[in-house]
Amino acid sequence: MNEETKTQINAKYERELQRGERFWPDSIYKDAIVALGIFLLLVMLATFVGVHDSPKADPSDTSYIPRPEWYFLFLFKFLALYGQIPILGKIEWIATVLIPGVAIGILTLLPFIDKSPHRYYAKRALPLAIMFIMVLGIVLLTMLADYPTVAHDGSGLPGLIQAVAGLVVPAIVYIAFTVMAYTLRERAVRAITVTAALGGALMVAFTVLAMVAFPLPAQETAEVPATLSDQISAGQDLYSIHCVECHGDDGMVEIISGVAGLEGKVVSIINSRDVLYTVNDASMAEIISYGRPDSGMPPLGRAYNPEGLTRAEIDYIVLFMRYTWDDRFEAPYIPPLYPPLAEGEVPTYSVHIQPIVKRYCISCHRPGKDSNAYYMDTYANILNSGDNAGKNVIAGDMNSYLIQTIQHTEILDADGRVLVGVMPPTSQLKPDIIDVFIRWVMGGMPE
Amino acid sequence: MRALWQKLYGWLDERIGFDDFYKNLLDRPEPRGNWWNTLGSASLFLFIMQVLTGIFLTVYYNPSPDHAYESILYIMNDVQFGWLVRGIHHWGASLMVLVVFIHMLRTFVTASYKYPRELTWLVGIGLLLITIGMGFTGYLLPWHQMAYWATTVGTAIAGSVPFLGDFILQALRGGPDLSALTLQRFYAAHIWILPLLLGGLIGFHLFLIIKHGESHWPDKED
Repeated sequence: MNEETKTQINAKYERELQRGERFWPDSIYKDAIVALGIFLLLVMLATFVGVHDSPKADPSDTSYIPRPEWYFLFLFKFLALYGQIPILGKIEWIATVLIPGVAIGILTLLPFIDKSPHRYYAKRALPLAIMFIMVLGIVLLTMLADYPTVAHDGSGLPGLIQAVAGLVVPAIVYIAFTVMAYTLRERAVRAITVTAALGGALMVAFTVLAMVAFPLPAQETAEVPATLSDQISAGQDLYSIHCVECHGDDGMVEIISGVAGLEGKVVSIINSRDVLYTVNDASMAEIISYGRPDSGMPPLGRAYNPEGLTRAEIDYIVLFMRYTWDDRFEAPYIPPLYPPLAEGEVPTYSVHIQPIVKRYCISCHRPGKDSNAYYMDTYANILNSGDNAGKNVIAGDMNSYLIQTIQHTEILDADGRVLVGVMPPTSQLKPDIIDVFIRWVMGGMPE
Repeated sequence: MRALWQKLYGWLDERIGFDDFYKNLLDRPEPRGNWWNTLGSASLFLFIMQVLTGIFLTVYYNPSPDHAYESILYIMNDVQFGWLVRGIHHWGASLMVLVVFIHMLRTFVTASYKYPRELTWLVGIGLLLITIGMGFTGYLLPWHQMAYWATTVGTAIAGSVPFLGDFILQALRGGPDLSALTLQRFYAAHIWILPLLLGGLIGFHLFLIIKHGESHWPDKED
């Protein structure tokens, strides 16, 4: 840039200053309003949206699908799509280092690459068009981030459409820009503008096609227990499913009975001070995770058992044990398992029965356990599964097997042999829980 | 009382020179601006918010794999207004990346990176990259599943650099895998190294802006 242009630019700036404003108070006032708006927005987001944390880090859980912060999602998608390209896609560093490096390099050195003194938008068609396609690509790749590249039937068509939207069209448009800039020179403005508009429209079209033709699979969002009392409740549910059979619901079992393969085994009384005062949280979690294979306790952690519990879940069980049995810990208020019933109110499956079943029944009544194939894991299974399907719960019938057995009445067959024993086999449900079951069955088992 | 206040002001003014401050910093002429020109000061405001909320969080946060997650839960559940401060820090981080990026786009569209503001742009790109670095290092600190595995993959990407990749990976992680060292390292980068760099460069950025003045909105003559 020669001195004459510099003088011109400075003179023009002086003229702009003459008919301009003062930093104080004109600009500051706008800045202050924006700052206030941002502050209010942040307070609203913190209050009404909050922060959604996932469970505690678990290095052994390699099946966890990583998801970066949202502003890196486009880069992840870009890498995933680039990896699909035959041959070239195998050279990972081209996508991870070379292309982002070149992009950042160009952006950094922009003032030294774009040497034209012009600032008016109509005289800067090429840089604006390049940036437009770049930003549009980033936005579209971010939007596509959660859409899988492989369809249910294993076809790679979704990935192909996404790659066209996010890689192929931008690449072609960039090549076209370069050719136009060199061949048409001054007359390129119109061609570049039209190409950018067309390319942008194509990118949007293919993105929409990818999203509509292969919609997002339904995601199950697991609620992460965030407060101590939620974690203790979660631990109690997990304990009821995985530990109760052998250790009993109060942890007082010394000799296992009624568990196939472990009959008569001697176990530590895990609610005793001997255990709780001498085993710290980390060791306790390790015992649950690795088990005590020599003494018959199976490994429950995912590190040793592919279908096992995550580290966070094991930590919840430890918390439950501490706050329930360890007299050095004072448990916080823990909300009741189900909301108390009003006079004459009929309980429902989702609000009342499900949490009760989860804590007291599923331990045995789930696939893989010997329980006359009666599974209580879903509403449909409770109503209709197992060897005695159709007799377990009958609307309005006090003789339903479920109602009888939880009131400790055995079901006998025609020859007087025990068909279904009392439930739960070694203890008795509290009267208020039995009352919930009775009201539910008599009220027609609402879901 | 009033006389005392005037005396105190006079004494301080004699030694500091409030008038110079007023003339050089506040009473500057500027081209007519519009709302897009507030993005820079919005970024600065977000930075200050992040510093203040971040300092508050360091009071309770514990950068060790055994206690990081629990200390965040403690901040969220037991500390008075801890949830609000953490919420502002969490959302402020996202918003800061967004605002700084849009600020860069605004500068690009109005071509404000041209003479005499080339250096301001260069420093600005540094600020954008460090802001993203702050996001990347801060994301690991809660030590939850998402953070752990996102950082595993993120550092693995840095490890794919030809020849130097393994060295970079080990330097970032402090070993072959994510460990307590990684968390300590990211914590140090997040609360010391990057904020100091960011603060210093912001100072330089502001100095250059005051020196050259805010660029004017380009018209047909430009």
